[in-house]
Amino acid sequence: MPQVERIDDYRWRIPRQGGMRTEGLIFADEQLMRDLEGDQAVQQVANVAHLPGIVGPAIAMPDIHWGYGFPIGGVAAFDEAEGVVSPGGVGYDINCGVRLLATPLTLGEARPRLRQLVDALYATIPSGLGASRSDVRLARGDLDQVLRLGARWAVEQGYGDPADLEAIEGNGTLPDADPDCVSDRAKERGKSQLGTVGSGNHFVEVGYVAERHDERVADRLGLGPATVTVFIHSGSRGLGYQVCDDHLDLMLRAAAKYGIALPDKQLCCAPLGSPEGKRYWGAMNAAANYAFANRQLMAHYARRALGTVFGEDTARRTRLVYDVCHNIAKHETHEVSGARTRLCVHRKGATRAFPPGHPELAPQFRDIGQPVLIPGDMGRYSYVLVGTAGAFTETFGSSCHGAGRRLSRHKAKQLARPRNIPMELEAQGILIRAATRATVDEEMPEAYKDVARVVDVVDRAGIGKKVAQLKPVAVVKG
Amino acid sequence: MTPYRFVPHTADVAAELRAESELGLYQAGVDALRELLVGTSPVRSLEERPIPVRGADPTERLVRFLGDVLYLYDTERFVPDRVSPAGLSGEPFDPARHHALREVKAVTYHGAAVLRDAAGCRATIVFDV
Repeated sequence: MPQVERIDDYRWRIPRQGGMRTEGLIFADEQLMRDLEGDQAVQQVANVAHLPGIVGPAIAMPDIHWGYGFPIGGVAAFDEAEGVVSPGGVGYDINCGVRLLATPLTLGEARPRLRQLVDALYATIPSGLGASRSDVRLARGDLDQVLRLGARWAVEQGYGDPADLEAIEGNGTLPDADPDCVSDRAKERGKSQLGTVGSGNHFVEVGYVAERHDERVADRLGLGPATVTVFIHSGSRGLGYQVCDDHLDLMLRAAAKYGIALPDKQLCCAPLGSPEGKRYWGAMNAAANYAFANRQLMAHYARRALGTVFGEDTARRTRLVYDVCHNIAKHETHEVSGARTRLCVHRKGATRAFPPGHPELAPQFRDIGQPVLIPGDMGRYSYVLVGTAGAFTETFGSSCHGAGRRLSRHKAKQLARPRNIPMELEAQGILIRAATRATVDEEMPEAYKDVARVVDVVDRAGIGKKVAQLKPVAVVKG
Repeated sequence: MTPYRFVPHTADVAAELRAESELGLYQAGVDALRELLVGTSPVRSLEERPIPVRGADPTERLVRFLGDVLYLYDTERFVPDRVSPAGLSGEPFDPARHHALREVKAVTYHGAAVLRDAAGCRATIVFDV
């Protein structure tokens, strides 16, 4: 465990030591730092600081936990000329992310038919191991269009509304995607999984606005008191996993070829301008587009479920609040030592959080800042925040992405074994539908940190601003 | 010698593998992966799938082999049983006999290193779940 120094109530520094090229900076309060004792997350922040071309500190958000390569909750920016791109800084589930829908219903209106709604969602959006759709079969040419166009492809096929695209990071289409950089193996894994949840921590969750911290911004986002919402958490499914896997092999060779010393093989990387770096870039952006299309289809089927239960008018008036990436690397312009500089920002388990006035935001968000969606656990609450100027100057426009795990899956299962977690949640008014009991046990609320504590650190440190708290009433787990 | 045991990891699943040889380490990894995928469901060696051994060193070869086993499960629902001279033997997933437990996204290189000692080989592998 590297040496760590406290800076203030919400910031901790890992001074340069060993082969670190820069400092580490962790956002956390004392309790969250204590949660990290005994695992390797802090060491992983220090490892990221070893990579060539890193600009500013290696950063970790308050939901930091032990991952592979980068910690989950990690952010690192690299100089475009001197820096690297690392699949381990993006993760296997490329563009794993969340989107939030706001329905025209209040909780009081929806409550009597929630059981029908969760059953309809469970039936309409395949979840669990190897979930696939028989109603969305893609020919090879179609899949390449998904990889090129992302959510725009889905909207052009009738899955959703053109207005949805303005409420998606990057408008749901990343232009650097190159389907030719995606292997046949990856395409094989992805061809029947579009519009499916997957398993693990992925979910579809019905909730409601329980508290409004900033009424003006909440109103602008359509989050009125007790508004019923639908949270969707999924990513690029098997296609993204395979893209990462394929390129780790390539990057291991590249790191040796370019003389890059690695403190962990999972941090293997290549210079951004190298053939290996460019190949990964094209494939990663293609997988990210697949994930945008995946969530667009899931939102379409969520609207269909709402329509079946509450009528077509409800489906038609259900709006997309926003859709953000959690696992991605992007070229962005930031101020470094007073100069506007193009950087490659890696976010692994972290959310872009651009401030009001940023030119990349759609007009409807220009004066309030980018919505930042922070799911918690299935028993407590989630949050909507907006990006701030503080995040832009201190974290390359980044914020946290969730609660962060505190218990291993094994420990969670041990705790859950003598209990019935779905019945406990139902007693709290939260309906659960899941493919397996194992997933529910592993994802039990106590397995996660209290997301309110995580979000409070973000808010008080000024790298995000609380807008609303959402509470769950029905959850579909993979 | 216990071929594998799961060890604490916060977000994913880590397994410690032990065997007398590099090939034995592949079998220990297959056993750990099978437990994650289908628990203790009985699996028979009814069919074979070729898996070429690839990689510059024992660690890369182990991670890639297990990655290929996972790919076969993910795309063909081929449930692994034994490491064979050609690659892998096992059988197609049968919902009547096999209980699918979870999705494993990948076999990672995080902290992976095949070490040799007097007892043979050992390695720790982190599975992304």
